Amino acid sequence: MRSLAARRWYSLGVFALLAAVILALYAILSFSIHPTSFASGWTLWGLILALAAYNVRKRLTFLPLGSSSKWLQVHIYGGLLSFVLFIVHVEFRVPSGAFELSLTLLYFIVFFSGLGGLAISRAIPARLTTRGEEVLFERIPKFTKRIRDDVENIVLGCISETQTTAIPEFYVEHLKHFFDGPRHFWQHLFQSSRPRNDLLGEIRSHERFLNKDERAAVQRIIDLICAKDDLDHQYALQWTLKVWLFAHIPFTYALVIFSVFHLVLAHAFAGGSE
Amino acid sequence: MSQGRSIIPRPKRWDVPFSDEMTDDVVERILSVAPFNKIDRKKFRAPITLEGIIQNDARLVSCQEGDIIIREGDWGNSAFFILSGTVRVELMASGKFLPPEKLGRPVTKRKSLFRAIAQMWSNSKEPEFRDLSQPALSSEVGSRGSGDRTRIYLQDIPRLLDKYKTVALEAGELFGEIAALGRMPRTATVFAEGEATLVEFRWQGLREIFRKDASMRTHIETKFRNNALEGILRNEPSFANTAEEDMQQLLDQAEFNTFATYDLSKQYRDMARGGTEGQLTEEPLVAKEGDYPNGVTLICSGLARLSQRYHNGHRTLGYLLPGQMYGFPEIEEGWKTQKQLPLSMSLRAIGYLTTVTVPTQLVERLVLEKGGAGKSHQSPALDVAAAAQTVTNIGSDIIEFAVDNSLVQGTATMIIDLDRCTRCDDCVRACSNAHDNNPRFLRHGPIHGQYMIANACMHCADPVCMIECPTGAISRDLAGGQVVISDQTCVGCTRCADNCSYDAIRMVEVRDGVGNLIRDENGRLPIQQATKCDLCVEQRIGPACQNACPHDALYRVNMTDLNSLGSVFNR
Repeated sequence: MRSLAARRWYSLGVFALLAAVILALYAILSFSIHPTSFASGWTLWGLILALAAYNVRKRLTFLPLGSSSKWLQVHIYGGLLSFVLFIVHVEFRVPSGAFELSLTLLYFIVFFSGLGGLAISRAIPARLTTRGEEVLFERIPKFTKRIRDDVENIVLGCISETQTTAIPEFYVEHLKHFFDGPRHFWQHLFQSSRPRNDLLGEIRSHERFLNKDERAAVQRIIDLICAKDDLDHQYALQWTLKVWLFAHIPFTYALVIFSVFHLVLAHAFAGGSE
Repeated sequence: MSQGRSIIPRPKRWDVPFSDEMTDDVVERILSVAPFNKIDRKKFRAPITLEGIIQNDARLVSCQEGDIIIREGDWGNSAFFILSGTVRVELMASGKFLPPEKLGRPVTKRKSLFRAIAQMWSNSKEPEFRDLSQPALSSEVGSRGSGDRTRIYLQDIPRLLDKYKTVALEAGELFGEIAALGRMPRTATVFAEGEATLVEFRWQGLREIFRKDASMRTHIETKFRNNALEGILRNEPSFANTAEEDMQQLLDQAEFNTFATYDLSKQYRDMARGGTEGQLTEEPLVAKEGDYPNGVTLICSGLARLSQRYHNGHRTLGYLLPGQMYGFPEIEEGWKTQKQLPLSMSLRAIGYLTTVTVPTQLVERLVLEKGGAGKSHQSPALDVAAAAQTVTNIGSDIIEFAVDNSLVQGTATMIIDLDRCTRCDDCVRACSNAHDNNPRFLRHGPIHGQYMIANACMHCADPVCMIECPTGAISRDLAGGQVVISDQTCVGCTRCADNCSYDAIRMVEVRDGVGNLIRDENGRLPIQQATKCDLCVEQRIGPACQNACPHDALYRVNMTDLNSLGSVFNR
């Protein structure tokens, strides 16, 4: 089995070679009287279709079409190559006209969402193992509710057992919002533990107003705050891992449709330009 | 809860007997026939008396004509004594075997390209759909009884006896004991010729008799030497080319041993919770580091741990599985240098282990002097330096995690690298697509560092799930060796799911094409069947989960091979 690092170097080498070939061909053909835009355009369109086919391949899991991992490698380096082809196709200029600009914008959304997705896919998984238990994304709401029920039972228990309202009041003012659903998305995404520390700081500063039984209850609430915060951490990161595809895939379809129009228009008006 | 309610009698052996039907009369009847009437009962001291063994570790099995008692290739942990009637053993050596369909065994067919494509629209929308229009078994085989008393039977016995070579076993004979004691697959198919009454012994009882009674021990050892040992030795490259007369010496002097601390791997997992060091000291010591080797030990069945003293504890350096050897390098090196070299690692039995030991002087005379050396280094773990290097490369903590949790049994263990897994669930979807929209594993399981061992069938080298299946519905695929369950013959007895310690087998309620639960005609209770990962044996692509993982995070790993393990962990 080839190591992942070796595979990366091999793929980068192939990518660099193909990019050099494209740029060399462009340099050679630009001296001839034939326009290069049709050749680069058709190649780019074919490549975009091939890249978009990956999503179809992912659905045909039972056909012998090669492993998804190999397709992804081709998708990644093919995507990078499409950028080289794209700048060759637009001849290193910003396109003019509303349609061409829209097409360019679509291409950049797809390209950069793909790059972003790749970065997310490589950076986030390792962070998921550092905090809290491994939990399936679909089960997070269920666990959140369970934690909220547990903390509310503790709070209600304080009323009946200690006949005081210190903890219930604190819960309503400072904790209810936190336990009601996923919180501190951005802080978790950027690895900030400040919201957790703030909450724990607040509850600890409140401890001096509590009796012995209430302090025991607070300790259990602190454990649940940590558990809920870990769950929020899982939610924020797993949500991010899933959501970028909702930008990448629909815009890919839009790009394919726009590019078909672009092809038709380019050929329709090709005679005029000559 | 009151304190009184927490007090229970200490659990003892035989709290749950093998059968409730073993009355004193039945026990006396069995003890009155040979070879049991020749056993000296005084050798069995209370509380493990001979009567107790027969009462609690045996049961009566009534067979009708054609009933299949054991099948070649199945796993078993019991042996049979013929009380009355005749049974027939199929002679594999005849070269003409009973076909799998005749034995009620599923024959897996790989999907054609068209059928693979057709899954896009033909997969059922209902969960756990089963097609009831398919006949449960081929017309040549029948089924009677229900639940765990179901029996598959052969039809038209006279014609089968004409066509296939068999040998008759009469009342007073014992069969199946080698597979039961050695935890090896059955080597032949046995069926009832007419009505027969058998006594089925579970291995625990058989082992007690084997230990205490010299005549039984001799009987079993002789059978083992005659029937199984030569095959085991010939499979080992060092002994493969031994001349016939030398082989006879090996067969005569080789020693057969069994080491066991528990029965099924469920109990093993409970023990594993004690941690590596605690667990290690509980494991029976087969050979001790520092001692001089008294022979080459060949693993016949089960799993053994190789460990070495490390500061104040022991470090696991590897493990040995059936077919692998221990002690050969020391004997070989000692023979070359004419010095006695001590064993460099200890060998301990994990759970149930059977070994064959060939004495040192025979190895030197028949193997080393005749140039058979240098062929036996099958396992890198046998060489201390290589083992230590492998452990360093992979990480001793991972090896100990795998050994302590008995994960090394897996020939296709699903390992997920959580540092690469984006939790996209493409693996689960692919699995679901390949199994009529029913995923056959959970992306969940024990985690060690960045690696998760998912709850998917590992296709164990020693598949305890196959023990006790009353219909043989769970079996190894004849072509690829994957452990598969036949929907057509599974009776939902839950034995396989109970025996699997990895929670890889689930019982599901099956449905018809419109989503209604299928119920049995008498009790109207939903029909359950066992389901698990079959490594996509019917698909054209191999395991769909691995094939669908875009990020190289999911691997099906043969844990029995340290190199294969290293190639995944050292990517």
